[in-house]
Amino acid sequence: MSHGPSAAGGAAISTTPHGHQSEPYVPVFTGETKARLDALMERYPTRMATLLPALWMVQEARGWVSPEAMAEVAGLLGLTAAYVKGVVTFYTMYHQHPVGTHFIQVCTTTPCHVCGAEDVVKAFLQHTGCGELGVTSADGKYTVIEVECLGACGFATPVMVNSDFIESVTPEKVPDVLKRYG
Amino acid sequence: MPKLTVDGVTVTVPDGATILDAARAVHIDVPTLCWYPKLPTVGNCRICLVSVEGNPKLVASCATQAAESMVVATESLAAVKNRQGVLSLLLERYPTDQIPAGGYRNEFEQLVRRYDVPTDRRSGMPLRTGDERDNDPVIRHDMSTCILCTRCVRACEDIQVVGVLDVANRGDHAEIIVGADGNPEHAGCTWCGECVRVCPTGAIHDIIPMAVRAANGNMVDRMRSKDLPVVDRTVRSVCPYCGVGCQIDLEVRDETVVHVRSPWIEENTPNNGSTCVKGRFGTDFVQHRDRLTTPLIRRGWSKRDGRWVFDPVEHARAGWQRRGGPWDLVQEESMGKKRRPKSNPLDTSPSGMGSLGDPRDRVATPKSWYEPFREATWDEVMELTAQELTRLRDTNGPASLAVFQSAKCSNEENYLLQRMFRGGIGTNNVDHCTRLCHSSSVAAMQRSMNTSAASGSMREVETESDVIFILGANTTESHPVFGAAIKRAVKRGATLIVADPRRIELAARAHIHLQPVPGTDVALLNGMLHHILAMGLEDTAFIAARTHDFDSVRDAVKPYTPERAATITGVPAELIRRAAETYARGPRSATLWAMGLTQHSTGTDIVATLLNLILATGMIGRWGAAMIPIRGQNNVQGASDVGAIPMVYTDYQPVTDPAIRHLFASTWGVPDERIPLAVGLKVTQIVQETSPVRGMYIMGENPILSDPEVSHAEHWFRELEFLAVQDLFLTETARYADVVLPGAAFAEKTGTFVNTERRIQLSHKAIDPPGKARGDLEIIIELSNRIGLHTPFASSAEVMDEIARVTPSWRGVSHARLDGNGGLQYPVLNAEHPGTDFLFDDRFPTADGKARFVGVEFLPPAELPDEEYPFMLNTGRQMYHWHTGTMTRRSFALDAREPGPIVELNPADALELGVGDGDEVRVSSRRGEIRISVRLSTRVARRQVFIPMHYREAAVNLLTNPELDPYAHIPEFKVCAVAVAKATGRQEEARGSRLEARHSAV
Repeated sequence: MSHGPSAAGGAAISTTPHGHQSEPYVPVFTGETKARLDALMERYPTRMATLLPALWMVQEARGWVSPEAMAEVAGLLGLTAAYVKGVVTFYTMYHQHPVGTHFIQVCTTTPCHVCGAEDVVKAFLQHTGCGELGVTSADGKYTVIEVECLGACGFATPVMVNSDFIESVTPEKVPDVLKRYG
Repeated sequence: MPKLTVDGVTVTVPDGATILDAARAVHIDVPTLCWYPKLPTVGNCRICLVSVEGNPKLVASCATQAAESMVVATESLAAVKNRQGVLSLLLERYPTDQIPAGGYRNEFEQLVRRYDVPTDRRSGMPLRTGDERDNDPVIRHDMSTCILCTRCVRACEDIQVVGVLDVANRGDHAEIIVGADGNPEHAGCTWCGECVRVCPTGAIHDIIPMAVRAANGNMVDRMRSKDLPVVDRTVRSVCPYCGVGCQIDLEVRDETVVHVRSPWIEENTPNNGSTCVKGRFGTDFVQHRDRLTTPLIRRGWSKRDGRWVFDPVEHARAGWQRRGGPWDLVQEESMGKKRRPKSNPLDTSPSGMGSLGDPRDRVATPKSWYEPFREATWDEVMELTAQELTRLRDTNGPASLAVFQSAKCSNEENYLLQRMFRGGIGTNNVDHCTRLCHSSSVAAMQRSMNTSAASGSMREVETESDVIFILGANTTESHPVFGAAIKRAVKRGATLIVADPRRIELAARAHIHLQPVPGTDVALLNGMLHHILAMGLEDTAFIAARTHDFDSVRDAVKPYTPERAATITGVPAELIRRAAETYARGPRSATLWAMGLTQHSTGTDIVATLLNLILATGMIGRWGAAMIPIRGQNNVQGASDVGAIPMVYTDYQPVTDPAIRHLFASTWGVPDERIPLAVGLKVTQIVQETSPVRGMYIMGENPILSDPEVSHAEHWFRELEFLAVQDLFLTETARYADVVLPGAAFAEKTGTFVNTERRIQLSHKAIDPPGKARGDLEIIIELSNRIGLHTPFASSAEVMDEIARVTPSWRGVSHARLDGNGGLQYPVLNAEHPGTDFLFDDRFPTADGKARFVGVEFLPPAELPDEEYPFMLNTGRQMYHWHTGTMTRRSFALDAREPGPIVELNPADALELGVGDGDEVRVSSRRGEIRISVRLSTRVARRQVFIPMHYREAAVNLLTNPELDPYAHIPEFKVCAVAVAKATGRQEEARGSRLEARHSAV
């Protein structure tokens, strides 16, 4: 069973106390980010339509979408925080908990599996120090997850690090790949 | 109008009706889980699938429109098999071991029984999860029983329009969530309990905040409602809080009201069965330990030679003055350091069942308050009260007596009490808290159109109005059920214009928020009217046919260009123009207002200006164009209607008219001359050094906290010769009484109440009053008879019959007609008359049927900020409390939500003052000073602060300005100048000694 970010994220939300009282939340949408969102809103008939891009902006700025950020987005778009969370949890690509600086997605769908993706995953877990899927390495650099079909079955095993696409990764190539993302 | 056959029964339904509607119309019970009346249909549970002849597949009856000649079978083999399948799939993730053998606990389990579905779970799938509310004072979740019907999500979003709940992690982990982080407070939850009401499994349930006897016979302080043993009976009642007049069902067990349930959503009730937090969870004050259960007499009173005399020696020995006791004055207490927790109680409240102790002990009256009293018999207090009332009448004259009646008591009780004082004592010094509330609205409406109540209904605002203009009314907190209706109207497409100095919830949702400087409403409304006339948007036909004196208004508004109005009010001219045009174009604009307009030294002027706007645009007398002064108390309308005000008898018949006096005098069997033709004194005139009043009778009011300038009021009441208080608790006022008469709470008596839309509703007695406490009607009847006024009534129904005889617009009202329905909206002209949902469609009730314009000039508030007192103070209500807190602060849930006094302060001002959230500050005005915790809030504008009125220990009315409106004598509660400073220990000491000095001076 895959440890997708959504399951891990759910657990993180219910167990970690959020900074509502201790550390004040700093809004994402100020200055240039706010201007970008405003410009985007003009393209659509409703504010709600900018929800997905707004969430991307949050993830871009903070690396993940915190409950406070969901509430901020909800306020800006006239939605409820619960609705925004419903959307965030529907898509696996929004992180509901902090991830490493480099987010590594290894394809383990059938053809890649046949070509040894399992070992690629193991290699990544070992060399990053993450140890487990979905867990961020102690140095905060890496998070590794399995992902469904990256659409490159001819180049098994494909891997995405952040937004870079790397094909034909074997366990031996993993240290080299990681060198590029020190 | 398709005609179809359902299970062999032929039924014709309106176009657009569903198969389910058709089945329900002929009382065929098609099971439903996700479907619920008045909620949007989602059709996701598939339990209501039925067979339709000629259709190869089953269809969802909730989502399929009925069609001509359809033949429907609701319990066909296929339909039943499908239901069993649906239920057994749901049971795979349901704690089936909890289902009682052969029984059921909820709607879902009932269906499992009905379709005889085996409850052995075969798949071993885990139970469902979701956000829990472990620390919540009343609403709890047990998401293992959730079946994801999403009724709660829709009830929160579409009925209450809050949107706390939603579904997250869609897929096999789908679950109900509370906001983004599981904290209902952050998600804007209002604790209305709508989710509890609709949940079919008890996954969302309430904890009963009342003391109940568990199945094993032990008293427990709180328990889950779903575990509650069967109740003995359910009694229909009317919520005792605001003017919406929600009907609620009280569940009684062991002669205790243990739970409040919503009436069924499709019943004819003004609230469609909805409640707010106060109605559902705030009625446990009824069984609070502080309830007075026996009459009390102040020590020192004794009977000698057949007469009661007061001997002050005993008091002096204890170190008390004539009317004193071992307690701090409100003024002293308000200056003290606060012990109560600061904001966000949810984050700090202890968790777990029972750890909060017995709810009946919550916020108890200090024991010392009882010390100056001794317990007495009813005969003693009745004798003493009758003796003192008649003595003062005979020695100082009837004008030396006055009565404060109660907007919390029924029409019948209020009618009899004013009857006692007018007919028995012979004084018109009869008033109640309307004086502090809508008296200026009544003054302005009387002058302009000879009316004293709303012209329309709440439901027309919800369903018909195109534009809703709300002024000075925080409806979502003060009248939450109506507030939700307004939010639904906005969802439907109505345009919302809000005029309020604070950015309250409705303002944030409004299309146009006019945020004027407090007290500048006349300039704002004149500016709007100026623009309307400039644009030619006035309703000339209406003005010509239905009104007088329009020229006076045309002249008056001439100088108020939107630019000038903008200078005075601080509202941009462009917004004023937009609001004016939107309102005038309607086509149906509803106008709603409350204390924000009325509680000013220019309150009558402000309302008059608003009436000018209404009349000039013709926004009255049509369905959808309602004029509604939103009434505060559950019966402030009714108390006024039955004559609990100094100028009029019932139905606003003037006391100055000898013919009307004759009608009442002869009905009551007293000589005409007994009752003066002069109007009596008003609340704010009575509590004055110069007033002739020496003795008072107070029923269910707490004027020491509710009147402006508390320190003065507290002093005044202590100087009276005689004070009798009839109440549920030993209030701040009652502690100064000579006799205290324990009355009955709303659940303990039968009577009628009038809501804000003139709807007279009957509330039934559910339980007996505690101990020796008595029904208020009983008390007044006995006292009336003792002072020599023949009062031969045996029930409140009989009193209503007399009211109907002397009240033209209530002539057709009787308890029999009000029983078991949504009540009647007066005028009800005869026994067959159906009531009146809106007024003035062809004429106003003036002599010539026309309304009158009254041009008004802007006058600033009596006291404005200056260097010494740079802040503007605004006062009002909070969602979780009620007025002087007598009831709500003794309610477990409400007190848990808002346990202590706060001042709302703009963060920018707080930064300047060097204070943070939860810090204590001193707020002082020219009249007094209080110490209070800060709540940072962007709802208040810069240089403005808001303090709720509910707290004795930080009594805001120590600060407010007693300046009165010249017509209505309403005080200026909404504006005064204050200074705010950080509280420090040393300053406290200094002030303590200053206070002592002031006391010794008094």
